[in-house]
Amino acid sequence: MTAPALARPYRKVRPGLWAAWAFLALVCCAALFPALFAGAPDQVDATAVLRGPGAGHPFGTDQLGRDILARVVYGARASLFVGLGSTLLAGAVGSAWGLLAALGGRAVGEAAMRLADILLAFPGILTALLVVAVLGPGTRNATLAITIALAPGFARIVRVQALVVRDSAYVRAAINLGLRPWRILRRHIVPNVLAPLLILATLNVGTAIIAGASLSFLGLGPRPPAPEWGSMLAQARNYLDVSWTLALFPGAAITLTVMSATAAGRALQARYERREP
Amino acid sequence: MPPLARWLARRLALTLFVLWGTATLAFAGMRLVPGDPAHVIAGGVQANATPEVLETIRAQYGLHDPLPVQYAIFIGRLVRADLGESYQLNQPVSTVVLEQLGATVSLAAGAAVLGFTLALVLALLTAGRPRAGALTRALEFCAISTPNFWIGILLLGAFSFSLNWFPVLGEDGPRALVLPWITLALPIAGVLAQITREGLERALGQPFTLTARSRGATENRIRLRHALRHAALPVLTLSGWALGELLAGVVVVETVFARQGLGQVVVSAVNGRDFPVVTGVVVLAALTFSVINTGLDLLYRVVDPRVRQAAL
Amino acid sequence: MTLSDDSATRTTERPVRKRGGLRSRRPVVLIAGLAAAAVVGAVIVTVATRGGDRPATQAAANAAGAPVTGGTLTYAVAGTQVSLDPAVAATAVTGLIDRNIFDSLVAQTGPDSFGPWLAKEWKVSDDGKVYTFTLREGVTFHDGTPLTAQAVKASLDHVVDPATKSAYAASLIAPYKEARAVSDLVVEVTLSRPFTPFLQALSVPYLGIQSPAALAKPVAEYRPVGTGPFSYVSWEKDKRVTLKRNPGYAATPAGASHQGAAYLDGLVFEFVSEDATRYGALTSGQVQAIAGVPPVNADKLKALSGFTLDTQETPGLNYNLYLNQTRGPLRDVRVRRALSASVNVEELIRSIYFGHYKAARNPLSATTAAYDVGAESELASYNPTEAARLLDEAGWKEKDKDGYRVKDGKRLTLVWPFWAEGNKDQRDVLAEGIQAQAKLVGIQIDRPTVDTGAFVSKHLIGGGYDLIDVSFARPTPDVLRFAFASGNTYAKAGGNVALVDSPEIDKWVEEAAETSDPETARRDYAAVQKEVLKQAYVLPLYTPVQLVGLSGKVRGVTFDAQTYPVFHGAWLGA
Repeated sequence: MTAPALARPYRKVRPGLWAAWAFLALVCCAALFPALFAGAPDQVDATAVLRGPGAGHPFGTDQLGRDILARVVYGARASLFVGLGSTLLAGAVGSAWGLLAALGGRAVGEAAMRLADILLAFPGILTALLVVAVLGPGTRNATLAITIALAPGFARIVRVQALVVRDSAYVRAAINLGLRPWRILRRHIVPNVLAPLLILATLNVGTAIIAGASLSFLGLGPRPPAPEWGSMLAQARNYLDVSWTLALFPGAAITLTVMSATAAGRALQARYERREP
Repeated sequence: MPPLARWLARRLALTLFVLWGTATLAFAGMRLVPGDPAHVIAGGVQANATPEVLETIRAQYGLHDPLPVQYAIFIGRLVRADLGESYQLNQPVSTVVLEQLGATVSLAAGAAVLGFTLALVLALLTAGRPRAGALTRALEFCAISTPNFWIGILLLGAFSFSLNWFPVLGEDGPRALVLPWITLALPIAGVLAQITREGLERALGQPFTLTARSRGATENRIRLRHALRHAALPVLTLSGWALGELLAGVVVVETVFARQGLGQVVVSAVNGRDFPVVTGVVVLAALTFSVINTGLDLLYRVVDPRVRQAAL
Repeated sequence: MTLSDDSATRTTERPVRKRGGLRSRRPVVLIAGLAAAAVVGAVIVTVATRGGDRPATQAAANAAGAPVTGGTLTYAVAGTQVSLDPAVAATAVTGLIDRNIFDSLVAQTGPDSFGPWLAKEWKVSDDGKVYTFTLREGVTFHDGTPLTAQAVKASLDHVVDPATKSAYAASLIAPYKEARAVSDLVVEVTLSRPFTPFLQALSVPYLGIQSPAALAKPVAEYRPVGTGPFSYVSWEKDKRVTLKRNPGYAATPAGASHQGAAYLDGLVFEFVSEDATRYGALTSGQVQAIAGVPPVNADKLKALSGFTLDTQETPGLNYNLYLNQTRGPLRDVRVRRALSASVNVEELIRSIYFGHYKAARNPLSATTAAYDVGAESELASYNPTEAARLLDEAGWKEKDKDGYRVKDGKRLTLVWPFWAEGNKDQRDVLAEGIQAQAKLVGIQIDRPTVDTGAFVSKHLIGGGYDLIDVSFARPTPDVLRFAFASGNTYAKAGGNVALVDSPEIDKWVEEAAETSDPETARRDYAAVQKEVLKQAYVLPLYTPVQLVGLSGKVRGVTFDAQTYPVFHGAWLGA
């Protein structure tokens, strides 16, 4: 996506947005190469339990004397796995679903959209909870649960976009020119549906990260001792009276990541909308 | 048939369809689960039921019947508003739900009032005032991006454990509800305030505002009497979403503040695979949202005549 | 869970909301956002570091002083229960509540001594099979029914009646054959075989004597009616149980500090399962007493004026990790001992429980009769080098890329199911520590989360586990039979979760239960303790401690042999 020159004068330098992108890059690095940032996340040290920030432990230590910084850094992987994984899956499933609903004929389309209606009839957490109830807790199942909760939203948007594009003049023209349906789908419909889909995906990453953290906060996500931000907070709940670092850093990590992802998503959205005034 | 009646009939049909679909999905889920619910029904680990007792339970709950029969019985009961009996609590699901409904509704209702008020006040105070707007916008952005269980934990740590301003045990009276209310209200207030402010700012830029000003109306009067009415529409649209958020947030917030309520019931039912309870709450939630959304759309049609022409 | 940006999502789907997006076009927004997060953090920091030095509420000024009658004491406890019938429910909280409603025939006065309670005297036949109890005169149940030999018979018959579906209470008196009312106040109980733990069994609340009139009612209308210092008022499920004073109480047990009716007007048990919340409820004055003070808060509570902390080590089986010796790598005693030697129990317990729980070196708690100090020499205690040597010797020599040991291409993995609903006392945290330390010598411990159904059928009954953790409080060494006799597997309502199948151990525990010679019993029990540690069927973790937090106003609470708090002599001071 290239922003037209027309939009340039409006844009100012946006340090906040740069900070957001930088933080996202940092989180991704932490998820990919945690060892660059911190030591082992499961190194138990019974002589230094629930310490405040200090030498050797910039974020302090937890109830087993493990380094909180290390656990926050290693926790990025689980959170991003659930957040990105479920968004990507939901995007893929939802796109197929939405395209099917738009282009698959009346009966199929009706059925597909009614299924989406059912799932969209109540909040995502309940859908996710129901799925976890069936599949059982765990990282993979939590990811699937959030995927199922998010997918109908994607399906709906892809369907609307696909319908708009299908009825647009250039697709009509392509049909009149006698192009094959597959080619029309590939060359014209997909690229035009893709942009709003990507924006929705970026905006949904934050939602998915919070949803994943919530599930593990409720004890339905990744199990300790695997470091994960939500389950760290669930344990911190028991030490509120004694230690504040335990509750502060994992929560701040979630919030900053979600904030950055949302800001980035909105910036993309703003660009896209300016492109088509 | 007049259009409104036709519209209502359509909505009713949709609601019934959603309920049937939810119940069917829940039933399918229930049967997909490996393992034997008889142990859960028998009372779990400490009861240590004998094979005979387990057999009686299986017969009593119809766990031997073929699936279509079980499904027919399940749907038949549902039609008679019978949600079945909890595996773990040995009580009808409706009793369990009704017992906890009050706590959850008072939590959600209080948070809704607080959230909407907060959003309205913030928006009225900051609309069209760039500096104040930027600051609150930032705060709103924070509120939106923060998981509400973290907000809850921070509030609990600060105001209950350290400052002792609010009780830690969350059952007694409104004082114990203050922190959960704030926790639930902040994220929705963040979204609603943004929407309201944008609506207000748009309205303040329109010719009628200028007209009102030229007639000598005070700024407050313009904001309260004229602009607010125009901003109400998008807020109304979002309130269905906000109520959904509230009820969803309840699940987490009740856990954070260790309050009794439907959210706790659902979480422990999911943990204990108490499917009748999970199904019951899910069906009830679907019903609630269908009804609320129908009501809001109806209100929308009343408020904004243009919508009546639109298809749905 | 917030759908953080749903409104923005929906702008695309419904044209009406087109301009409803939450776009922020100002650079300040994000910076200010980050700043706001920092401010929140800073507030928390200042606030949290200030915590603790809160002004003292009520100094324990008049520590002495005469007991005062009146008032209601609220005691917050963890957990909830399915039934109030002590014969039906085996949950600890049921015993705790019912202890105040029901009296027992005899009272346990020491690790292995018993005194009169509802029975003022008793004698045992020479063959150890017939117990004859003479009841106290003039005792009546809360409903006015007099206590008679018939009532005792009805109570015991109720326990063993299959229709009651009693799992625990009935198992306590398994050899019970019949009871016969010799006269109005003399009851004769016949056992099928000699059984010395019988008196101890009779002393627990699960075998409290119930009013025959109450037992005659249908199950759905069951109300607990006993002869105890408090009578039942109401039970709000999952919330609280309310009791009130029994003004006519006279049947105090041997060794009681107070005679006659209780001082308190009412006694309320409030169910609060969250540790931190329960603790907060005490310090903020919402309740006057709590069970299970989180160890992390215990020192702070002691230091707070206006509160007292009571600690009671529970007798019986410690909180132990049992090693399933019938499955996989743990069939090899060397692997079992290696696991035992890889865990620094001492250090873990100290750091997690802040010195309030003692690390155990014996499956039996030190306050139990027949506890054998010498047995701990057989324990494979912490020694990572020795653990590594044992594993090498057992053929687990290679290590894979994750640092776990492998043999014949299979990784040394042990399954320890995590049953979330049964978790308490930060046992999940302790398990994390054990996992981390076992990993250092190359043993992988898996903790799949399981629900109740799977935990019972697949794991406890199906035997699909390598490790399982459990504690079991009961003040008698007979718990060793419960935990290690081959006939007492979980499937047979026992506690032998290590699935020990040793004729020697069976012989020792049977003999100890039947003999009337205390010395033989002691020797047998000592042999069992040594053998199970030598074979590393069990890794002792800690002795559970009842940490009861009391407001300074609460006086006169005592603890019985089972370490249940006794509220009969409790009163509320100024």
